[in-house]
Amino acid sequence: MFNRVEEFVKDVRELASEDDLAEAIGAVTKDLGFRYFALAHHVDVRRSSSAIRIHNYPAGWAEWFDLQRLGAIDPVHRASNLTSVGFTWSKLPEMLALTPADRRVLDLARKEGIGEGFTVPAHVPGEAHGSCSFACATGERIAGEHLPLLQLVGAYAFEAARRMQRMRVSEAPIQLTDRQRECVMWAARGKSDWEIGQVLGVSEATVGEHLRHAYERYGVGKRTLVAVHALFDGTIGFLDVLRP
Amino acid sequence: MLRVESGFSASPRERTLRAMFEDRKSVFVDLLKWDVPVLDGRFELDQFDNEAATYIIIADEAGDHLGSARLLPTDRPHILSSLFPDLCASPPPAGPGVLEITRFCLSRRQKAAERLKTRNELVSALVWYALDAGIRTYTGVAETAWLQQILAFGWDCRPLGLPMRCECGTIGALAIEITGGTPALLAANHIWQPVRDPATRVPQAA
Repeated sequence: MFNRVEEFVKDVRELASEDDLAEAIGAVTKDLGFRYFALAHHVDVRRSSSAIRIHNYPAGWAEWFDLQRLGAIDPVHRASNLTSVGFTWSKLPEMLALTPADRRVLDLARKEGIGEGFTVPAHVPGEAHGSCSFACATGERIAGEHLPLLQLVGAYAFEAARRMQRMRVSEAPIQLTDRQRECVMWAARGKSDWEIGQVLGVSEATVGEHLRHAYERYGVGKRTLVAVHALFDGTIGFLDVLRP
Repeated sequence: MLRVESGFSASPRERTLRAMFEDRKSVFVDLLKWDVPVLDGRFELDQFDNEAATYIIIADEAGDHLGSARLLPTDRPHILSSLFPDLCASPPPAGPGVLEITRFCLSRRQKAAERLKTRNELVSALVWYALDAGIRTYTGVAETAWLQQILAFGWDCRPLGLPMRCECGTIGALAIEITGGTPALLAANHIWQPVRDPATRVPQAA
């Protein structure tokens, strides 16, 4: 079966549209014994027009998912932020403390016909986390012997989608100046403008100015949100914030 | 600052090389828990650190090691052929125009943003070196955890076989084709850093 993956890897390099990519992923998913695939950036796609999402889930399921604004809090997406190699969904309870709401999402998915699945995390430094998932219909057996193949398919599919997104979204990624980034990092650590001014040796007003410019670049109005956005796209790192 | 070192004499006397072998121990033994030999409790060195190896090294102005990779010729025993032949579905590319990238290492002393900059310089230096030395293909064994990042550089990278589990994670074999178009592919992904004035040294070992 490795030659099927080689063929996919070769084909996706030439594809230019998301529809063609969806068709290619759908075909290889089927050949490897799975029914559904879903390739996504882990953000709320209704708010973020540049986020990637390609899938062949049942229509009603995708709509419900969007209405509930589940993009970034879906338990599968959360689990995939914790690891860098593929995992089967039956492992979720070992990876995460599932909340009642998480269990409801998983139950609903089963009722919609989405059974056991396998998710390949896609982490590119400085970019939103993403993943590519493959799922069986409810009640079908997962083709365990094909998981290493799907690991490769998921990685190459995500990179192809990323390349298309880069062509579609012409503007450069949001970039803060070094000073803005430092202010956001300290704000994320819970420091006030005055405290940040003390650390950086500038006035409270200057810190306020830097942060306001950072808000503008992200299009948000609160220091919590600017910190979350900066952590999310890798402008600041979790270690930078959590390091004592 | 880029340095290219050809060959290697048995004792790592010189500062940049010493720091490189120390950082390799810190990354591959202490952090990633690889079961590889350690010399004097400080330096990670194995049987492939010999006169045939080439080192691509990124160092700071003071000569301290920031990142490096070791290139092995593929017309003699190398990592893929001697340690992991099962990772390839068919015989991997080998010969005078093919080098194996091994021990891709970024010093842990850097912050996240600095590490990415060093990573980009090192990847660019590898492409520059291939074009300069007439290398068409790099092969390598990579942890699957890094695959997405390696693909996101934008270069032409294909799998040589299925990923497999080993004691330190899931690993797979890759081949990367280098052509005159590769710098532009890296540039489209904001990876490419033009290489200036590399300090090339003659072989140290007889």
